[in-house]
Amino acid sequence: MTLPSTPFNPATLPDNDNVPGNHYAYCRKLDGQLFMQTGRMIAYYPAPGSAGIRFEPLSSATITGFVAERFSAPLYTRDWVVASGAGHLLLGDRGYDINSYTLEEGNLTLRASNLLAFDSTLELKQSIVPGFLTLIGTGTFLASSSGPVIFAEPPIRVDPQALVGWADCPSPSHHFDARWMTGFLGMAGGVLGMVSGEERQFDFTGAGTVLLQSSEHAVDDPHLLKQLESQVNTLAMSGLTRLQSVIQSRLSAEQRR
Amino acid sequence: MQSFRLNGSRVLEVELRGDAVRAAAGAMIAYTGDVAFKNAGMGGGDGLRAAIKRRATGESVSLMRCSGKGTVWFAKDAMEIVVIEMAGDTLKVESEQLLVVSDNLRTDVAFAGLRGASSGQGLFTTTVTGNGPLALLSAGGPPIALEVSPQYPLVVDPQAFVASRGQLNQTFVTDVSWRNLVGESSGEAFSLRFDGTGVVYIQPEER
Repeated sequence: MTLPSTPFNPATLPDNDNVPGNHYAYCRKLDGQLFMQTGRMIAYYPAPGSAGIRFEPLSSATITGFVAERFSAPLYTRDWVVASGAGHLLLGDRGYDINSYTLEEGNLTLRASNLLAFDSTLELKQSIVPGFLTLIGTGTFLASSSGPVIFAEPPIRVDPQALVGWADCPSPSHHFDARWMTGFLGMAGGVLGMVSGEERQFDFTGAGTVLLQSSEHAVDDPHLLKQLESQVNTLAMSGLTRLQSVIQSRLSAEQRR
Repeated sequence: MQSFRLNGSRVLEVELRGDAVRAAAGAMIAYTGDVAFKNAGMGGGDGLRAAIKRRATGESVSLMRCSGKGTVWFAKDAMEIVVIEMAGDTLKVESEQLLVVSDNLRTDVAFAGLRGASSGQGLFTTTVTGNGPLALLSAGGPPIALEVSPQYPLVVDPQAFVASRGQLNQTFVTDVSWRNLVGESSGEAFSLRFDGTGVVYIQPEER
């Protein structure tokens, strides 16, 4: 590849589309307010003659009421900001493909780390599935995926890592491989190293759309951690002991690597 | 004139005809012919003064000098590569993004400012001057060239910044002070604002 002969400027950048020749960056023309995950802005052009773009934490006094109405995901408030003003905003996310989606009187649930930004007309809620967020209403949002998004229809079983999100489906359930479930075989398999790593899936039934990606980088997801932490409170003594042993064995496995 | 050729978008092919290039250490993936690889030294081959500055500023480059006759292929972490032809002007580049520089080009360290030392990126930049080609790396996808003009000033995340050229005035803005509030994510406390006339290159992934 040689350098793009003419650099982009606000007049040549798309208003609401991927940067030409680049699936990994998205240009959003801002005029008003936008909810944005922190650290996803890579550059911006303030609109000529305007005050530029301001990024405010959700706790900022000037927007508290507005936020409380639209953003009911307390675990995530520290990772989101409101961008307000006018200009062209460029977003990127770990080199993932970025796409814009429009929701009309609908609901869509997404992996929290894959949701980059959403219109202030949409409402955000925490999904009951840990690490996922639900958008409700009408508006557009930006989401990223490792590789292009694959759309599938239920009934379908998907690998948790490959799941980006789902729309309109009733909430998914866990599905465990039958052989894994029959305790003896499962235990023997674990001992003999026959575990395929694919024993657990998400099961989708009913009408709707499931969004998949080709892979998921193992990134530390602070959201998921927080959600798990918040659920520790619901465990009883035996559960806590069990959790401790699971974490112990995971830790020692990691250290052996 | 040295020949820098791209083989796909992620591998660079350099033809050596008795001359030399300097490349990021460890970036050579293959070569044919009679080519010698030598550590370019602490200052990236630009002498003691540059070495001391690099040591003092932390803007480290680990370059190797490749000389001889043959063909060398370079690549790093499957990052996208971009070739820039320098014609006597100056390019400011983040040192981690340098892949190969022609031996005709001179590299040095420029001090860009003092504030917001939390991430260090964008504080000290490597400058490249002279005539000849150089190859830069872009993580997460092809680099994006953005024009800066008096009408269109530009604000860039220091972690996405790759390089800049032209008559640019670089300042730090702290309007993104919300980054400070974000305890657990690796956020920097400032952005880089560019005014003047020139071009800024950014990458889609944050370092």
